[in-house]
Amino acid sequence: MISDVIVKFAYWINGSRRYKTVKTFFANLLNNPDYPYKKYLDSLMIFLILTSVGILVYEVQNPVPEWMDFYDIYIVSILFLIEYLFRFWVYSDLHKSIVREYEKARFLNKEFSLWKPFKTILIGKLRYITSPAAIIDLLAILPAYRPLRILRIFVLFRVFKLLRYTKSINQFVDVLANKRFELFTLLFLLVFIMISAGIAIYVFEEHENPNIDSLFDALYWALVTISTVGYGDISPVTNEGKTVSMLIIVSGLAMISFMTSVIVSAFSEKLGELKENRIIEEVNKNEEFIIVCGYGQMAKTFLRQNEKIGHKYVVLDKDAHRVEQAIKDGYNAINDDASRHDVIAKFNVEYAHITVLCLTNSDIENIYITLNVKSLSRKIKVIARAMDESMKKKFELAGVDHVLLPNSVANMMLVTAISQPVMYNGIHAILTGEDVAHVDEVILGTHSRLVGKRIDEINFKEDKLLFIGIQRGKTGNFMFNPKPETVFHEEDILLMMGLEISITYFKERYRGSIL
Amino acid sequence: MRKQAFLFGYGVQGKTIANGLKNEHFRFHIIESSQENFQHAKEDGYLDVTLSDVTKDESLEGLDVGEEDYLICVMDDEHLNVFLTLSLHALYPNTTIVAISDSIHTTQKLKMAGATKVIDLYHMSANRIHNILRKPVAIKLLDDFITQEEGISFKEILIPHNSYLNGMTVDNVDFQAYGVLLMGMIDLELSNKFIFVTSGIHHKLDSGDTMVCIGEKSDLEKFEAHIIRGQV
Repeated sequence: MISDVIVKFAYWINGSRRYKTVKTFFANLLNNPDYPYKKYLDSLMIFLILTSVGILVYEVQNPVPEWMDFYDIYIVSILFLIEYLFRFWVYSDLHKSIVREYEKARFLNKEFSLWKPFKTILIGKLRYITSPAAIIDLLAILPAYRPLRILRIFVLFRVFKLLRYTKSINQFVDVLANKRFELFTLLFLLVFIMISAGIAIYVFEEHENPNIDSLFDALYWALVTISTVGYGDISPVTNEGKTVSMLIIVSGLAMISFMTSVIVSAFSEKLGELKENRIIEEVNKNEEFIIVCGYGQMAKTFLRQNEKIGHKYVVLDKDAHRVEQAIKDGYNAINDDASRHDVIAKFNVEYAHITVLCLTNSDIENIYITLNVKSLSRKIKVIARAMDESMKKKFELAGVDHVLLPNSVANMMLVTAISQPVMYNGIHAILTGEDVAHVDEVILGTHSRLVGKRIDEINFKEDKLLFIGIQRGKTGNFMFNPKPETVFHEEDILLMMGLEISITYFKERYRGSIL
Repeated sequence: MRKQAFLFGYGVQGKTIANGLKNEHFRFHIIESSQENFQHAKEDGYLDVTLSDVTKDESLEGLDVGEEDYLICVMDDEHLNVFLTLSLHALYPNTTIVAISDSIHTTQKLKMAGATKVIDLYHMSANRIHNILRKPVAIKLLDDFITQEEGISFKEILIPHNSYLNGMTVDNVDFQAYGVLLMGMIDLELSNKFIFVTSGIHHKLDSGDTMVCIGEKSDLEKFEAHIIRGQV
C-alpha cells in the first residue's frame, strides 16, 4: 500500500517538467562553474564566511553586540544549513532509482520491494555525506549550537568552506596530488627517521635530560630538529644525544631540499597547463567570445584588427612553435588541438555565445574542426576558411555558418582592377574597411525618433551618409534602395555607408532605446 | 587603345585569375617559370603560354608590353614574386603592376618594389570576419559584391559626351527613380582619384567623369543604357 503510493509519487515527479527545471537550476547554481548566476551565490557564501570568521576573531577581545551574535548563530548557520540540504538534495535523484527498480521488477514479473531502491539511495546519499567537502559543510554549521563552547572552534571549518570557492587552492592540491608517490615516500622516510631518532634520544637521555620526560617529548624534539626549526626548548646533553642530533640534522637538510625540489618540479611541470586553464577560465567568463583555430597569417591579421575592436578571444594551435610566437606577439594562446572533442568541451559551450574561426592552412583540418565543434553544440557559430571555391560545398555540408574564400576574393579584386579600375578603388576601400567607406548598420530601438517617419523625411545627404537599404526584422527580406515613401518601423536595421564619425553621429541622434 | 594583360605565374592563384580573365574576354598571356605549371596551363587549354626564366631580364625584355597593359604578378614563390615585381617595374615603369600578397609585410615589400595595386588576401578576409561578427546585414550586401553573380552589384558608368547629366550636380539627379544608388565617382576636374559621395564634396557631373553605382544588375544596365541614349 505504502509502496504503491511512493511509486506513484516517484512516477509523478519523474514526469514533472517543472521539478526537473527547478532541480537543474539548483544543481547548476551549486555545482556548475560555467553557470552565469553561480558567481552571485559564490559571492554571498564568501561574504557569510568572512563575516562569521571576523566575528569570531573580534569576539576574542571585545564583547559582541546582540545583533552580531544573532546574525552569526541564526542567519549564517541557517543559510549554511539550507545550502547543505540543497546540496544533499541535488546530489542524486531519489525518484529515478525507484522508477528504475519498479520497472525492472515489472519486467521480470517479480514482487517489487522498496528496500532495494532505498538501499541504492542510501548508499548514494551516504557517499555524499562522507565526502570531505560535505563533512566540512556539516562541521561549519555546528558552531550554531551555543551550549557547547568547544564547538566555537568549528567556525574554522567555515574558512575551509572557502576551498569550494577558491580555485587556486584546489589547483595547488591537484598539483601536489600528481606527486603523490614521491611525497608519500618522503613522508614515510621522515616518519622512520623521526621515530628512530626519537627512540634513540629517549633511550640515551631519559634519565640525564630534565626536559625529556616521555617518549612524546623525544619524538617532538626529533621532529623539531629534523625540520631544521630547532626551538631549543629541548636540547641534547649527552655526547650520544649530540651525535644523534648531528645525524638527523644532516638527514633533515637532505629531506627538506628533496621536498622542495619535488614541489617545484611538480609546479614547473604543470605550470603551462595551469596557465592555459587560467586563460580558458578567463575567456569563459565572457558572454561572447571567439576561438581562433590556427595561428597563421590570417589569424594574425584578424587579431591585429581586433585590437581596436576588442572582441574577447583565445587562440588554439596544435603547433607549439606557433603558440610560442602568438604569446610573443602578445595574444592569449593555448597549445591544443581544436579537432579534439575534449579541448572544445572545456569552453563554456552551454551558456556563452561562441564563434569558432577555422583559419588553419588545410581544408581537411578546418572541416574536421567544424564537425567537431558542431557535434558538440549546434549553437556555436563557425566561420571557416576554404582554399578554393570547390571546397565551399563541403564546408556547407559540415555545417559552417560562413565560408571565407580569401583566394577567390583576391581574384575577383584582381579581375576588377583590370576590367573596371575605377570601381576597384571603391570596392577595395569597402572590403578593407577603410574609414571613408564604412558600411554599417543602425538598429532602430522602440523610442527612436525615426520610427514612423518616411525615408524622404530624413536627409541622409546632409549627414553625408549613403542610405543603402532596410532589413525588416531579424528574418525579413533586405530591401535595397527602398521607395522614398517607405516608413521606418521599430527594430528595422538600416544599412548605410559613410565616414565612421558620420555614422556614429547618426546613431547617437536616432538610436532610441534598444530592447 | 589596346589593352592586354601579362599573367606571371600559373599556380594556386594564377589558375583562378586566368579563368576570371577568360570569362571577361580579356586578352592575356601566361608566363610561367616552372615546367609543371606550364604544363598545367597547356592542359587547361590556354594557347598563349610561355615558359621562361623570369629572374633574367633578357626574357622579360622581349615581352611586348605597352603602357596601357597590365602586369599581374602571382608567382607561387613569394620571394620570386617580389623580385619579379621589381624587375618589371624597372623595365616598364609606366605600366600598371598588380600583385597579390598574403601578409602585411609582403604588401609593403611589393609596394616598395613598384606594384601599383596590391591585393592583400588576408586583410580583406580578416575584415570580413569582423563584419560577420558585428554587421550581419551588411555582410549580405558585401557578399553580393564579391560573388557578382546575383543580387546587388557595382558598375562603373562613363558619362558620355553631350549627356543630359553634363553640368548637373549630384544632388539634382534622381538616381532613386532608376533603382540605383551613386556610391562614388572619378571627377576629372578635381583629381584622378576615386571619391565617395559620402566624403561630402558637392560634385558637378561632367562628360568624361566615371560614376560607380550600386543596384540590381538589370537596373544598372537600364540606367547605363538610359544615359548613353541621352534621354532626359
